[in-house]
Amino acid sequence: MADEIPTTTHTIEFPYTRTLGPVFSAFLTGMRDGRILGIASRDGKILCPPTEWDPWTGDALEPTLTEVGPGGTVETWAWVETPTRKHPLHHPFAFALIKLDGADTALLHAVDAGTINAMETGMRVTPRWKDERIGHITDVEAFVPEALGA
Amino acid sequence: MTKGTEPVEGMDYFMQLEYHELLCPVVRRYAEALRAGKLIGHRCPKCGLVYAPPRGYCPIDVIETTDADEVQLADRGVVTNYTVVTPVQYYGQEETEPFAKVSIQLDDPGGALSLQDVLEVPVDQVRVGMRVEAVWAPPKERDTGEIGNRSFGSAAGAIRGWRPTGEPDLPADQIMQAAF
Repeated sequence: MADEIPTTTHTIEFPYTRTLGPVFSAFLTGMRDGRILGIASRDGKILCPPTEWDPWTGDALEPTLTEVGPGGTVETWAWVETPTRKHPLHHPFAFALIKLDGADTALLHAVDAGTINAMETGMRVTPRWKDERIGHITDVEAFVPEALGA
Repeated sequence: MTKGTEPVEGMDYFMQLEYHELLCPVVRRYAEALRAGKLIGHRCPKCGLVYAPPRGYCPIDVIETTDADEVQLADRGVVTNYTVVTPVQYYGQEETEPFAKVSIQLDDPGGALSLQDVLEVPVDQVRVGMRVEAVWAPPKERDTGEIGNRSFGSAAGAIRGWRPTGEPDLPADQIMQAAF
């Protein structure tokens, strides 16, 4: 096969930058600084990830964010046995909805638990931060079981 | 180590689609020939027009062409037209200075290649009628990985470009009738 050229590869790329607005700007600035932030809804619930509007009334929310976590509880999860190259981890992991301590809604993120047998609804997890953070949701590389530490 | 202390106000998105395409046999044969240092084409058995690279059909006569219609082409010819591109520095643009892309009518048995690079000639001296010859990449450096099923006219990766032969220009009226 080495001498053959059975296929050709095409790559189409479209890079762009999206402005964030006051809420996501504050949220991702927090990620860059190693803090996970939520926003208070009109009735005092803490939403994480934060939204710009109250999901129940549609009212605009004050862009004053409060810190949540860093630990949290897995509410539900799905195991990814064969990650694609665009997945956050390149070995088997779980996507999970994680309700961080102090928050009333759950954040979708990856859980690096090693094996599916280590996954359980209700398990405690804590973020593993990247050393170099840029202000992006992937500044948390993954959450890990609290027993393993970050 | 984090980047900056200013508020994060933008988020970079990077959409990428990569796909793989099987090469049809006629293109594979063309690419193999390029790596062997040969340009090949197909001569339509009905109208006699030479297609470079081979297409596997003649769109004028609407008939298939096969390996039996293959002809080896000259790696010398004449510039029949050109475009000077002034590069805009959009993402992915590697050129910084104006450059020319030329079409070349090949010597006998004929055929034409488009979008070729000219070497050793300043952009403002590229002209119709200029006689040129191919500058092949050394055999080990020939890479035809960019040649796809729709890259008609490309010799990229095997021929680096075309340089003047030093022969007198061909008068433009002699190539007016040369159609691609």
